[in-house]
Amino acid sequence: MFILYIFILLIIFAIISLFVKKQRWAVATAESAIILILTVIYALSRFYNYTGGLISTGSYPIDKSIGISFSYGIDGLSVALLFLTTVIMFVAIYMSKVESFDRRFFGLMLFTEVGLYGLLISRNFLFFYVFWEVIIIPVFVMIALFGGEGRERASLKFFVYTQIGSVLLLLSIMTLFAYYGSAYNVFTLNMSTLLNPAFITKEITDKVPFWTDFLLFGFFFAFLVKMPSFPLHSWLPDAYTVSPYPLTIVLSGAISLMGGYGFFGVLMPIAGVISPSVAWFIIGLGIFSLVYFALTAMFQTNTKKMMSYASAASMGFILIAFGDGLIATSINSFTSYAGGIYQILAHGLIMGLVFASLYLIKNRTGTDSNLSVSGLWRDLPYISGFFLAGVMASLGLPGLAGFISEASIVLSSYYVLGFIIFFIIFGMIITASYHVWAVQKTLNGPFTEKLGKLRDANASEILILSFLFILILLLGVYPNLFFAPILSFVKGVV
Amino acid sequence: MVFSYYWFIFLTPLIAAPIAEIVGKRIKNAAGWIASLAIAISLALSIVLWLSLRGTSTPIHNSYRWFGYIDAGIYVDHLTIIMLLMVSFVSLMIHLFANYYMKDDPRKNLYFAETALFTSGMLGLVMSSNLLEFFLFWELVGLCSYLLIGFWFFKPNASSAAKKAFIVTRVGDLLFIIGLAVLYSTLTAKGVTNPLSIPFIVNHISTIVSDIGAQNLTIIGLLFLGGAAGKSAQFPLHVWIPDSMEGPTTVSALIHAATMVTAGVYLIARILPIYANATYVAPDAVLYIGAFTAVFAGTIGIAVNDIKRILAYSTISQIGYMMAALGMVSTFGDSVIGYSMYHVVVHAVFKALLFMVAAVILLTLMELRDVRKMGGLWRRMPWTITLFFIGSITLAAIPPTAAYFSKDTIIDVAYNFYALHGFAFWALWPWVFLVLGALTTALYTFRMFFLVALGKPRSKLAAEAKDPPKVVLIPLMILAFLSLTLGIIQYRFYDFITPHTIVVSLPLLEKYTPLTMVVVGLIITLALYATTKWQRMNLSRNPLYKLVRAKFFLDALYTRVIAERVILGLSSGVSRIESGFSRSVEGTGKGAMGFGSILRKIENGVVEYYFVFLIAGVAILMLLLEIYGGI
Repeated sequence: MFILYIFILLIIFAIISLFVKKQRWAVATAESAIILILTVIYALSRFYNYTGGLISTGSYPIDKSIGISFSYGIDGLSVALLFLTTVIMFVAIYMSKVESFDRRFFGLMLFTEVGLYGLLISRNFLFFYVFWEVIIIPVFVMIALFGGEGRERASLKFFVYTQIGSVLLLLSIMTLFAYYGSAYNVFTLNMSTLLNPAFITKEITDKVPFWTDFLLFGFFFAFLVKMPSFPLHSWLPDAYTVSPYPLTIVLSGAISLMGGYGFFGVLMPIAGVISPSVAWFIIGLGIFSLVYFALTAMFQTNTKKMMSYASAASMGFILIAFGDGLIATSINSFTSYAGGIYQILAHGLIMGLVFASLYLIKNRTGTDSNLSVSGLWRDLPYISGFFLAGVMASLGLPGLAGFISEASIVLSSYYVLGFIIFFIIFGMIITASYHVWAVQKTLNGPFTEKLGKLRDANASEILILSFLFILILLLGVYPNLFFAPILSFVKGVV
Repeated sequence: MVFSYYWFIFLTPLIAAPIAEIVGKRIKNAAGWIASLAIAISLALSIVLWLSLRGTSTPIHNSYRWFGYIDAGIYVDHLTIIMLLMVSFVSLMIHLFANYYMKDDPRKNLYFAETALFTSGMLGLVMSSNLLEFFLFWELVGLCSYLLIGFWFFKPNASSAAKKAFIVTRVGDLLFIIGLAVLYSTLTAKGVTNPLSIPFIVNHISTIVSDIGAQNLTIIGLLFLGGAAGKSAQFPLHVWIPDSMEGPTTVSALIHAATMVTAGVYLIARILPIYANATYVAPDAVLYIGAFTAVFAGTIGIAVNDIKRILAYSTISQIGYMMAALGMVSTFGDSVIGYSMYHVVVHAVFKALLFMVAAVILLTLMELRDVRKMGGLWRRMPWTITLFFIGSITLAAIPPTAAYFSKDTIIDVAYNFYALHGFAFWALWPWVFLVLGALTTALYTFRMFFLVALGKPRSKLAAEAKDPPKVVLIPLMILAFLSLTLGIIQYRFYDFITPHTIVVSLPLLEKYTPLTMVVVGLIITLALYATTKWQRMNLSRNPLYKLVRAKFFLDALYTRVIAERVILGLSSGVSRIESGFSRSVEGTGKGAMGFGSILRKIENGVVEYYFVFLIAGVAILMLLLEIYGGI
């Protein structure tokens, strides 16, 4: 019940924020902080001795005849992503202090959080779909209203891409629904029922191979767009670059979890019907995305765009983890899946730190270009330090969160991939190169004197960046905080 | 006693690092003393640990589940203790000296925080009980190395050297992690739930062999060698060390001479059972790469004029000896750990000494690093150059200095390797390489020493050079004393690491071959560089000299061909494809919008159009399902 109360409170907060004019930043920050704290309390109290499966479940029937009910529940996957969502939303709203946004911005931000929260807690496909849509609309509006140059095009691109994905997602859900209806004469949209491996077996799917392929195609398409993976990524660089920085933080940190949640929350339970050739295809897409985006990122002269591609590249790991987990067995499979889920979490936090520190650099120097500034260490030691920390985390430095997931994925993948693993390593070397290059260009070297005297981060900025960095460090040094529940979840499902 | 005092060996400097940064900002000289104190505590605890483990051969092993199927904790045996004592002692000496060396730097609090963090990482690396935990510290020291090379961030050379060091070692690190992946995933497939634990690898190697086979162990061994070669700057991944000399000299002493670069040697020594049980390819690769690097880097060292770079190439060459010793595991068993580690310790002592002497010289010469511009310093700074002399004869392995015992033993073992393989032609090469390495060592060492110390000053700065206050030379004197005397403990050292170390003996002629080489090198350099003859030499047209000066074109191959042509070319190609792809998507989008605008006349806008499409789609789907009938 507690989780539902948090959710209702969040909806109320979102509505309040739409109307608050004075002190709107403080109100929105306080609201997101409360949600964060409550979620952490919930997670700590209920996941202390988590052993897998769904907990905190509840259900409110709406229409029994076609099986619609508002049912909710939390597992090891969704609790990790809930934590990520609340942290990222808090940071993004907090960071929006740097510029002044009007109240619509804060309201829409909190509605995005409502969508994400609802998506993660709902266990009924109708609500899953509704919240999936609820996330997209405020983001679309925010890009269109507050974006920089080229916002119309970027917002439309984002909208069209994700909507095509949504349509296919809905069709797949409907197919699943029809399946169950015709097999058991019971109409239900309950996710736990529909995604039960005992229901979707080879016996049933082999009778209707086309519909199984259709179903999987829809899910894969919707989730790959959100991931994003090559070749469905074209919305990402535009949306990330055009958005105001707080929204970039949300896009890269929180919105990016949707694809991963789809893979591990929806597709992993029905992994039995996914054929190995599809798994290899996913692995191939993952490796290709990793290398392709890394090479593209290397050539960017705009740091924000470079880091957008870096974000997309590290999502390739999630695809590799998923495909690898499908093929591998026992421990290797568990490690791979858990690493993939951990990667969603780590990637979100790391991108939050990267974009938050870039935001401050942009704010102080007035530019995102890494060719026109250098030597920032001299005047901006704190901001530079945090940017360096974010970059190091992003390239997978051990001791920080990203390493745990990348190591899990790489370690367990050799058994399946053999020496294809060298392509992953090649991608990681490229990643390291351009990350270090970006640091060398902007932070090192002689200071660009024409920028004048720059003001380093103030206490409140240092506070929020330290908060993110300490989280990343904590998750890198003591990963079991989340890795253990994730692993229990994986073991429970596979 | 689960969380015992020895955890603080690496935790103390870790805790001290942020304190040094914060306190050092307020109080001027505090940072250096805080860091030194923390490392002194580490040293004291290491000594306590040594005394308590001296009599027993049971290692200490505490570990906890870190995540998934990976443990983390502490594993201490005699090999670990040697490294702990060496790292904390040398680090303490260098920190004490750095208080003087860095005294005028405005950001010295950051410097000491980073070196303390580095020392913590190094001590943690040595004590790790799991290879992934080992890898964590391995990268932590790599990060500190990166930060400290680029410490003077405003120098473009320093920041590009830092980048180069990071990327080249990263290549090695990723090879290392593939090795871990092979080990992990093949073992877990057999149901092992803690596959990367070091005690498991060391003590249950027979299980591992029967689970995954010698073939896989060979692959693992070769990949780990790749990692070790990156960190320990072995051919062909050695290119980053000479450039890393752009950092503060005390950093070169601490990281790029004494401690971090020996981490690769330690890695191989730590998991030596893997090499002992792999097919012959893996240990032989270690042996040949090490021996080849010894002579290869030594040769470049002869043609370099920058005093720090000469020392850097000598470091690469000396690590080659340590590697080569480990590569003979199949013939001499665990004894090779003793041979190798003894040279690690001796080398750390005299190389730290040499670098700190270089730091003193460069401080008074205002960073003038060219040995050709020095000269006559022995008269002007007698104390410093006397210490330099002691370091130099130790580096050249002249008896009775410690390196004579540590290095010549390795060369002797290489000869025995040759003999024990029935004087096979292929087994001769390591010995030949190592002996030639000894010759090059003598050549570059005495060339450097004579150019620096003897003759007349060849620049105004050199003419005005002066000794620093003698008190700052105390750490150097301690190291010099040890360089001269460490030879006494040779056999006790061997037996401490592995009881019953094999003592090699060989014919008189071969026994004195390396020493003969040193004498030959000394005579050549005496004739050329102790006089002014070298100034009349014109080598610039000699093709061999040009080849060596160009570092055998390896650096050029990496930066100009691989990085700039291949990788950057690929990158520019791919990003061109990407922007073309993005444009074509938009083109398609525009086409669709054109089509949409017809529909918009009916529907008014994209969103409505989408919903119609949606409902129509669902309807068609339902219809199809209906036609399809019940399953």
